[in-house]
Amino acid sequence: MGLVHFAAEKTLASSAVLLFITVLMMAAARRISTCIMLFAAQCAIITAQILAMAYVHRSPEAYAIAGFMLVIKVLTIPYALSWIVEKLKAPRDVTASTTPAQSVFIVSALILLSFFAIGPYMQVLRVDEDVLAAAITLVLTGAFLMVSRTKALMQVIGLLVLENGIFLAALVTTFGMPLIIEIGVLFDLLMGVFLMGLFVFRIRDTFDHLDVSKLRKLRG
Amino acid sequence: MTAAISILQALLLIVAAPLVRGTIARLKAILQNRRGASVWRPYADLLKLLRKEDLVPTTASPVFRVAPRAVFAATVAAVLFVPVLHAAAALSLAGDFIILVYLLALARFFLMLGAMDGGSSFGGMGASREALVSTLAEAPFLLSITAVAIVAREMSLSGIARWSLAQDPSRISAVHVLAFAALALVAIAETGRIPVDNPTTHLELTMIHEAMVLEYSGPSLAWIEWASSVKLSLVLALLVALFMPWGMMASPSALGMALAIAAFLLKFVLLAAVVAVGESSIAKLRMYLVPDFLGVASALAILAVVFTAVMR
Repeated sequence: MGLVHFAAEKTLASSAVLLFITVLMMAAARRISTCIMLFAAQCAIITAQILAMAYVHRSPEAYAIAGFMLVIKVLTIPYALSWIVEKLKAPRDVTASTTPAQSVFIVSALILLSFFAIGPYMQVLRVDEDVLAAAITLVLTGAFLMVSRTKALMQVIGLLVLENGIFLAALVTTFGMPLIIEIGVLFDLLMGVFLMGLFVFRIRDTFDHLDVSKLRKLRG
Repeated sequence: MTAAISILQALLLIVAAPLVRGTIARLKAILQNRRGASVWRPYADLLKLLRKEDLVPTTASPVFRVAPRAVFAATVAAVLFVPVLHAAAALSLAGDFIILVYLLALARFFLMLGAMDGGSSFGGMGASREALVSTLAEAPFLLSITAVAIVAREMSLSGIARWSLAQDPSRISAVHVLAFAALALVAIAETGRIPVDNPTTHLELTMIHEAMVLEYSGPSLAWIEWASSVKLSLVLALLVALFMPWGMMASPSALGMALAIAAFLLKFVLLAAVVAVGESSIAKLRMYLVPDFLGVASALAILAVVFTAVMR
């Protein structure tokens, strides 16, 4: 039992750092498959955090949420995205409008911004500063990935990262939403990924590429 | 006693350096399904080169002969600042990590001078590439060590190692993770390993270090090769001393000594394995992507320094 307690404590203490590393690596990644792997790692870290919180606060509901999270976000969605990448047979690099170095600089700035942004709330909220900052960083980085990456698939990944951020923020500020809502959100997300996957296939079939920046030409 | 250990650890690093290189080469060969040369091969190479005649191009000035010795001397001087077996180096003073960084820069400066003095076009090309890489690597190198120094509130490498030794290994600090990532990227660029430079290639389009030493032969080449092996070990020892010094001796004793040597061997074999696996699984970057690679290192190093202020 001592070991489990130790593991839970360490997970709570270091998950924010690990999340920062995943977003920095996502900014530097050159391939879509790497980004998918990093997304899976990110979800695994959040799952570990939910488990640690469930253990510390002794809430059986949180174990259920962690289970759903593991099945849907760590396994199903990354697997589905990898399958899409495989099926598309499109070039596998993330065509970004910024170089990896610039992206890492911007994401670093976003991390600092989120630390400053949560500053005023820290007096009223009794939560871990690092984890809340990590949640805001995930939201901002997700948005950044969506605007700076031109491949349609990267927009899906950016949206998923953003959703992770909202999920984590809800988790740390209110110790999670009711179980039913969490499950609803997770299944919505799953459906969303499948719909977006369909869209990606349609974009590929109609235009022979996945570059969303070229879709601007469609305007009349 | 402590002074003797300090000298011993510097000698160990210098003498064992070719072995580290040989081990990496052997591990890479095994990973690539080859048998590979013996791990002692670099020593045989050095002995052979030292016995051979030193050929100097007719166009070269005395700088050509001086440069390899200067490179070796500067690198060995840098070794004296790195704690290896116990948390104290042979030489230690406030701000010695700056001296270390610039001793390595001095070694590189002489290497570039020698390369240009050789008079071949490859030497000049290699020197210009090396200048580009080293300029970009210098800032993250200094900044990442500075970040760790700020967290430790220590000014010398030995002090930082002593501080890290007293920390709880299971506590992950954001500054350390970021600084380690930055320093690891810099280490790859500094020691000319894949993906920045390939130490085994002689292809005109890609080589950096090999292009600079193309004109050298005999003892001069031996000094350069030995210096570059020492530099690789030195950078690995620096990573160990700053981020994972556990196992180093706190106070001199026979048991502590045995433990420290065992820990040293274990960590170096692990790092060699990491380098070998990494080099076998990734391709070399195009030259124009190298600034980007080091840009990532700079971003991480700057973030590490800023985080020392943000996090606690």
